[in-house]
Amino acid sequence: MAELDLKAIQKRVSAGASYRKMVAAAEAGAPICVASAGIPNEVMHAMGVYPIYPESLAAISAGIGKAEPFFDESRTRGLSSTVCSYTRCGLGICWTGTTPFGPIPPPNIAITDVNVCSLHLTWWAYLEDHFTLPTFYMDMASTDDPGAPEYIDYYENQIREMVAFVERTTACRLDMDRLRESVRSSDLAGDFWRKMMELRRHRPSPMSFRTLAGQILPLVTSLGDQDTADFYEALYHQYLEGAKEGKTPAQGGEKYRLIWNGIPIWHHLQVINYFEEKGANFVWEPYTSLNWGNKTRTGRLDLDRPFHTLAEKYTNVLNNKPIARRFEYFDQAIRDYEVDGLVMFSNRSCRPMSIGQHELVQLITERHDLPVLIIEGDQADPEGFSWADARTRVDGFIEVLEGRRK
Amino acid sequence: MIGRFRELHEQRHDRARALKRQGTKIIASFYGLAPKELVRAAGMLPVQLVEDRDSRYEAKSGLLPYLCGMSKNLAGQIASNVLDYVDGVMVSTVCDTNRHLLDIWVHQRAFPNLWLVRAPTKNDEGALDYFANELRRLALELGAVSGTRVTDDGLRESIALFNENRSLFRRFYDARPTAGVSAEDTVYVFASALTTPVEEHNALMRELIGSLSPGVPGPDPKLMLSGLNIPMAVDVIRMAEKYGATVVTDDFTHNARYGSTEVPADGDPFRALARGYLRAVPAPGMYSFEDRAVGIRDTMERAGARGLIYLIQLYCDAYAFEYAILKERFDRWKLPHLRLEAEATPGSIEQLNVRVQSFVESLL
Repeated sequence: MAELDLKAIQKRVSAGASYRKMVAAAEAGAPICVASAGIPNEVMHAMGVYPIYPESLAAISAGIGKAEPFFDESRTRGLSSTVCSYTRCGLGICWTGTTPFGPIPPPNIAITDVNVCSLHLTWWAYLEDHFTLPTFYMDMASTDDPGAPEYIDYYENQIREMVAFVERTTACRLDMDRLRESVRSSDLAGDFWRKMMELRRHRPSPMSFRTLAGQILPLVTSLGDQDTADFYEALYHQYLEGAKEGKTPAQGGEKYRLIWNGIPIWHHLQVINYFEEKGANFVWEPYTSLNWGNKTRTGRLDLDRPFHTLAEKYTNVLNNKPIARRFEYFDQAIRDYEVDGLVMFSNRSCRPMSIGQHELVQLITERHDLPVLIIEGDQADPEGFSWADARTRVDGFIEVLEGRRK
Repeated sequence: MIGRFRELHEQRHDRARALKRQGTKIIASFYGLAPKELVRAAGMLPVQLVEDRDSRYEAKSGLLPYLCGMSKNLAGQIASNVLDYVDGVMVSTVCDTNRHLLDIWVHQRAFPNLWLVRAPTKNDEGALDYFANELRRLALELGAVSGTRVTDDGLRESIALFNENRSLFRRFYDARPTAGVSAEDTVYVFASALTTPVEEHNALMRELIGSLSPGVPGPDPKLMLSGLNIPMAVDVIRMAEKYGATVVTDDFTHNARYGSTEVPADGDPFRALARGYLRAVPAPGMYSFEDRAVGIRDTMERAGARGLIYLIQLYCDAYAFEYAILKERFDRWKLPHLRLEAEATPGSIEQLNVRVQSFVESLL
């Protein structure tokens, strides 16, 4: 794929580039929106609204070891350290008005979902209250059946109301042609991401979960932007070549193929590298394969029905499905990706992802004779996490995998 | 007669089993935002799942260590067959923990019937339509369990009975600060409402209110207690009293707060019920923070409370977060308050002594 220069595009979609774009947009008078990850940013992109994602910024801050001042700010303001670390860090960013890249422009509006995580509701209600920000809540009723037509219809109406909210509170207006273009770019980005994930069936898989954890960022924060679609197209072709050449991040060759369940441990991403040093490679994660991308039944976005297709995509929340349904995804992935073992991240910050994990493991081990390692910790707050302990546990797990090969 | 409420609370499992033997089906709610009016209209007894102080339960819960004591306690009660009389549970989302415990219970087939109350978080016309339809769905499914169809008239009658209970609570809380009713007894007045047939509780409340007369005020300083976990609240009340304070009012999801808004009685009863529950019960994030904070301040003023103890159960992120938000107003208003955060275990509670004592002394 010679037409697309991956390095050049990467510079346009990096976290720092996104930050600079936002600052420039704010200086040019575009509205800035504090947005939760999980709302249709294709619509914001089409309307010319620039989002700030506190959760993504929290993950980035933790990943580069710059989250502590934000946690300190949260402590000062009376937030218990048992509250989600994304929330504490994200609020710290809002309170201090800064990020690891520099100061953030004052936001004009806020938009959140309410059913990916219950805290989003309280969190954005706080932003509305404390910063007197006009705030819109993308309502999703509690559900254990996110595919129900009436549920998707209700959310579709929420997207329309979101448009009305943005038009009411800013000078931005929705142009349907721009929305279709935004959805088209998003669809391409999601489709190339899906193809990338499928490349991981290749033995060896050419990808590192640690690298993907960074490369997924535009899929979370910059959908609708043509640069994002171009980035994933170029990335796909790079990985395709890697697969053909037998590349692998696993040192000494890919001996073990693993599943990682949960959010990456942003403050200790080297955990993933440590597995790779031992010849183990993560080849499937719900985080990369099920939480982001084109989460519709067909795997594509319906360009003729942009509101409906976005509703279908954004209501398809894995953790709102029963454990038995979640198990089916794992069961399929274990077969498709020829998995040798699983690592479950028991994440004290993310209860939706962690509750039911034990029961999921029960179902998996009943059907598949696979070893499971459970690592406890927090997605963004390193407090209480011991790198030495983690390594010891990984060593023990690798020994189990080795023992099973003999 | 006030001791009768405590008996009702302490005998709740035996009483439920006795009713079950007589043919009454029992439907539990987890937590208080499940529409119990529907359950009664379907001819069954609504009860709320209530935590109990027994260390064996937490040990048996099998839940993650960083989940709240209430969820672990309830999971332990299930594992110990304490809730063997329950025919079904309705889960209404308050936090991620309570929402996702449902997933585990479904997986475990812990109860014969399980429902998620699919409630929106807004209360505009679209949300009301959606939730009214959801309530009709639930009514059909509850009727299938009991064999009694939920009719409009039956639901109106049920709404009226629970509204009366709410109204009686308001009257009780208005009278309580000067009536010499102890804080601990008050806890059982509302705790018993969670598991007692509403007609019976209404009758007892009428009798109680009729019997109240001005009593001897307790010693200063006077306090308000905001909390969630009933056994923890009783411990903290005793602790405050040990250091010379009097808890003159309180704020739980199910006492004065529950009684703050009655369900409308006119029009389509399903839509009225939807209106009565959506953003109408003060719960973190589902209610205006300004109204919530003002409600606490006004309640304190009416009851003559000088200070507030805000009791958070460890790992309850909903209330831990709410506190940080309310604190901004409390600080602005110079409202004396003490945040306590503890596990629902005797050892953890014991460690609060010094802080409670210091807070009480700071108000003298």
